[in-house]
Amino acid sequence: MNDTVKPTRITTVPRYGDQPADKLYLPAIYAGIKVTLGHFVRNVLDITAMETLEYPEEQPTDITSRYRGLHRLTHREDGSIRCVACFMCATACPAQCINIIATERTDGIDEKMPEIFAIDTLECVFCGMCVEACPCDAIRMDTGIFSVTGKTREDFVLQRDRLLSHTGAFETEQTRNKEASHD
Amino acid sequence: MTTAQILVTLGSIVLAALLALLMIPVLVWLERRVCGLIQDRPGPNRTNVFGFRLGGVVQSFADVVKLVTKEEYIPDHIRYGRWIFLLAPMITFASALLAFMVIPFADTVQVDGAALRIQGLPVSYGILWYLAIGSVGILGMVFGGWLSHNKYSLLGALRAAAQMISYELALGLGIISMILTYDTIDFNAMVQWQSGTFWGFIPAWGLFIQPFAAVIIIIALFVETNRAPFSVAEGESEIVAGFFTEYTAMKFAMYFMGEYVAMNTASAVIVTMFLGGYQLPWFSTAALLEHFRTVAGVLLLLVPVVMTLFILWMRRNNRVRLTLSTDGGRGRETRILTGVLIGTTLLIEAILLWLLLEPAGSIGASVAVPLLQIVIFVVKLMLVNLFIILIRWTLPRFRYDQVQVLGWRYLLPAALANLFVTSIIVAGVGS
Repeated sequence: MNDTVKPTRITTVPRYGDQPADKLYLPAIYAGIKVTLGHFVRNVLDITAMETLEYPEEQPTDITSRYRGLHRLTHREDGSIRCVACFMCATACPAQCINIIATERTDGIDEKMPEIFAIDTLECVFCGMCVEACPCDAIRMDTGIFSVTGKTREDFVLQRDRLLSHTGAFETEQTRNKEASHD
Repeated sequence: MTTAQILVTLGSIVLAALLALLMIPVLVWLERRVCGLIQDRPGPNRTNVFGFRLGGVVQSFADVVKLVTKEEYIPDHIRYGRWIFLLAPMITFASALLAFMVIPFADTVQVDGAALRIQGLPVSYGILWYLAIGSVGILGMVFGGWLSHNKYSLLGALRAAAQMISYELALGLGIISMILTYDTIDFNAMVQWQSGTFWGFIPAWGLFIQPFAAVIIIIALFVETNRAPFSVAEGESEIVAGFFTEYTAMKFAMYFMGEYVAMNTASAVIVTMFLGGYQLPWFSTAALLEHFRTVAGVLLLLVPVVMTLFILWMRRNNRVRLTLSTDGGRGRETRILTGVLIGTTLLIEAILLWLLLEPAGSIGASVAVPLLQIVIFVVKLMLVNLFIILIRWTLPRFRYDQVQVLGWRYLLPAALANLFVTSIIVAGVGS
């Protein structure tokens, strides 16, 4: 190594803690206690000053329209199911949690619809690939529901009717245009 | 012994046991709530019995119930010394509890011609007892860690033992300098020594007489009780839970509670040695007894004010945000507690009024003054406990080698120097 070549673009980070006052620790302890005690006293005097949500009673209000919540199956203008059981979502699903059994549609609106459309939310990774894959805008994740509860494993397998009953939580331009007369 | 003497003795034993044991759930609750409030979150505040949350203190009792009913699991690989493995947490817990027993909660009372100490254990060599019994706790940790047959447990026990040894020296030397200052090994005599003032207005508390020794001893007590920032005996990121990694259910709880009893004991020692113990500043016991009517009169005015402030604080804070439709029964609890508090205030007022108007020379003052001193002691104890908890949530932990460096290179020489200077001053004043 040649000593005369100085490495460039190396900055020296100032190091703290070598001064006698730092080694004594006590000034730093005093400064720290001032901060923590300040927070403690403020919150003791007014418990509602904290930003923390009292969760089950207080629900979050800052969920954006881009949040991927629980799925829903959308409706057509006449209120019937939009899904045509093309299996695009089930194919795209990396977790393979969508189970579709198709049946013939006899009401003349379309040719095919799902008889069973079940999403196993215990398997689902909420990646949104099904929404991307859907050619009919039949499945969406804009419900804003972030909590799924149940007592058995079967409770977490969302069936077609439950998915149809979910409504979109966010007013988007698309929603306004397409579903204004129905939802 | 007369009946009164037996009653007073039993009373002080019960009081000592209650102050040590009942403090555990309160301290666990305090730790979690203070931690939460410092970090701008509420902490445990939902557990309730019939809608009574009491600020969340019920959570501690729920935790105890949970730990008692948990499965006791002893790993199969623990083959040797299983009975010591089971005994170890009890050693730690019992030593912390017994060390608390020599703390005086009030001045000696004269009952039927005999001077009775208001201590759990009425001995006059309190400091020696504390040092001897308090240090036994480490044996429980070492046994537990060693017999767990687990690397992490062994390392944790090793750390606990090593830091205990290195700080016991500084603690002992610091305490010797305090013994020289007070010229006694009796906790009660120490408290009486601190009842005076110096320079006319500063209370002669150990903290003001020996601030240097106070800092050394308080730091050493932090280490002794395994409290942050010296909690290297356990560390989730390094050695799992340290020496109690293999312990479950109530055995674990024994270590856990022993830690809090030890912390409480350390606070009591700090209060007794440095903060004037049960003494009201500027009022010795004799002065309290002499001017008892004045004190009762002041209390008569002070108690309602304090209670009113407390009730107002409770009404303001035992609630949820106004935007919520339900308050989870907090309103009902607040109303009932307000009633209870007002009733208590009226009772205290009535007793104080009776003390104020009673004929001179009756038994009232000699009962009320110890009670007042007990209350003062508990208030000081809680404040020091709060301080210790505050330190834990303020400072980051020391690394293990930093702990050793601080103990051997800084604290030990400082304690020696302090002892040297103290000895010279004491000898100079004495001669």
